[in-house]
Amino acid sequence: MRLAIGAYTATSAAGVGLQALRDSIDNRQSGLRRNDLQNCDIDTWIGRVDGVEDVSLPSHLDHLFSRNNQLAWFGLQQDGLLQSIAQLADRVGPDRVGVIMGTSTSSIGRTEEAFTCLLPSGQIAEEFQQQEVHSLHSPGFFVAEATGLTGPAITISTACSSSAKVFASAYRWINHGLVDAVLVGGVDSLCMSILYGFHSLELVSPELCRPFDRRRNGINIGEGCGYALVAREDLLPDAQFALLGYGESVDAYHMSHPHPKGEGAVIAIDRALERSKLTADSIDYVNLHGTASQANDRTEAHALARRFTDKTLVSSTKAWTGHALGAAGILEAIITLEAMRSGINPGTLNCGQPDPELAFPVLTDNVSQPVRFGMTNSFGFGGNNASLIFGQMND
Amino acid sequence: MTDVDVVGLGVWSESFSNWEEFCHVLRGGSAETGRTLKPQAIAPNERRRAPLSVKMAVEVMDQACRMAALEPATVATVFASALGDMHITEYMCRTLADAPQAISPTRFHNSVHNAATGYWSIATQSHCPSSAVSGYSNSVSMAILDGAIQAVEEQIPVLVTVQEVATAPAFKSVYEWTQPFSAAMLLSPVGMCSSNIASLRLNASGNLVEPPQLEDIPGIDLSGNPAARLLPLLIAIAEQRNADVQLPLSRGSSLAISIDVGCQARQSES
Repeated sequence: MRLAIGAYTATSAAGVGLQALRDSIDNRQSGLRRNDLQNCDIDTWIGRVDGVEDVSLPSHLDHLFSRNNQLAWFGLQQDGLLQSIAQLADRVGPDRVGVIMGTSTSSIGRTEEAFTCLLPSGQIAEEFQQQEVHSLHSPGFFVAEATGLTGPAITISTACSSSAKVFASAYRWINHGLVDAVLVGGVDSLCMSILYGFHSLELVSPELCRPFDRRRNGINIGEGCGYALVAREDLLPDAQFALLGYGESVDAYHMSHPHPKGEGAVIAIDRALERSKLTADSIDYVNLHGTASQANDRTEAHALARRFTDKTLVSSTKAWTGHALGAAGILEAIITLEAMRSGINPGTLNCGQPDPELAFPVLTDNVSQPVRFGMTNSFGFGGNNASLIFGQMND
Repeated sequence: MTDVDVVGLGVWSESFSNWEEFCHVLRGGSAETGRTLKPQAIAPNERRRAPLSVKMAVEVMDQACRMAALEPATVATVFASALGDMHITEYMCRTLADAPQAISPTRFHNSVHNAATGYWSIATQSHCPSSAVSGYSNSVSMAILDGAIQAVEEQIPVLVTVQEVATAPAFKSVYEWTQPFSAAMLLSPVGMCSSNIASLRLNASGNLVEPPQLEDIPGIDLSGNPAARLLPLLIAIAEQRNADVQLPLSRGSSLAISIDVGCQARQSES
């Protein structure tokens, strides 16, 4: 089965909505800035979405207030997505459309805030007694409420592979006949847990991140959200792209270090190729996980070298958006779809001195070359991996 | 409609630490309580670093695979919890409020929702697909549905684990449950495994239902614990009776689960 991809949209430091993202990619304009978060003294760069704190939620969703849900709502309103959702729900019924969100942070930023003003009893004060918001399901619950979709709703949280895996679950749900369509998405927001947490692991760079560059010394954390409406082919006759395959795997190696030879990554790539009945050489472009940490880029290059040749262009777009963690999967899936739409393969930003020690070369300048088949990789803590392969619908 | 076999079960709470004790407690017996949780599936050095939430999950996952006599490295996993490890969340948020630079890197990487399945995969050397999900109060129904569909669509046994730790101190003004509970149900495509304990038929629909009232289990109060929504299924299987359970899935959909425990008898007859 091919899963048709209808309306999609992305919001990140590289732009609010698709046109802004396209402009950033075309102009090679990074969205990263020096860390200017209040109460955060870490010397680093971040990918922050302007204006999130000013987003008002609809009044009936006020009880779900959090920065993460503000960002989710901001993203939902871009590119006519809400209208596309409403049209599809009208046709098939809102209970025939599922919701699958990916996140790593969920609304923990709101929980952090609650702990700065606990009651004298040491418990969470009334203003923050928001049952769904402190749950990992906060984004899925919020998006279902905000869109009026009443089908099965779930949130996947497998660290940085979360919102790549949403496509795999949606594929199964639709192929199985559980629902006719699924709104898949991912949302992660900047918060103290993530910044100080990655800082404690010495993974945060004090400079702009440099994926696959020999000078790379860590990640820049970003926030973002993205959505795609996916359905059976007959429901989306105008769809331009399809999900052809997905591969999920686990490293079984370490909680916070990737397998040195990219063992789990290769398994995920192989499973995605097998499902899409394609060979590695037929993949034109791969959007990498490419975080700019020493370990990720080294192991990902190993994995690439075991399967791909120079027929395939590969690049990381983390230096545009920062590493949006639980939202990275869907943001990069959408960047891959955009490369397939425009034929512009984004060259890795800030990779002025490609690391000769890495086992596979990355594209460093934007190249115009048609992308018939595109792949994206997402690898997370706990060794959790996902690879996705997209194709043109009229192929 | 989705049909799957239940081929293995695992349970852990403060009042019963495995399936046998669970059945014993249901029959009115009592079990030894207060024992230290020491899951044998993970190596001692990993066990020391693992929080209680991970130990609870790994213990019941191991129990379910043993009951099914299935090699753990051959099953996919779906872990579900409404809130993840609230105690780590509380630690993180308190530390961030007081001295953010003091965050422990180990506790940070243990704070990911897929920590339990990460430890499990390392212990079992499994590269099988692994997910960690939440549906807030509907975590149990959504995990069973998602896991069962994966089992059928991918033709692989799927180990569905649901759990909720006890409410952490600061969260007591928000959540009402007081005791931890963890359970695993190993779901297999129909007829794939020989150790069939029960058959499940799942039907999702746009009907709205109220969650069932929990039956009292002597000596333990799991009311309000989102993971305890699995109990009606577990109790029916333990008591060897067929049952129909309806659980909400979302704001406008629900899951009807028919449990058939007659499969063992049928299998032995044939």
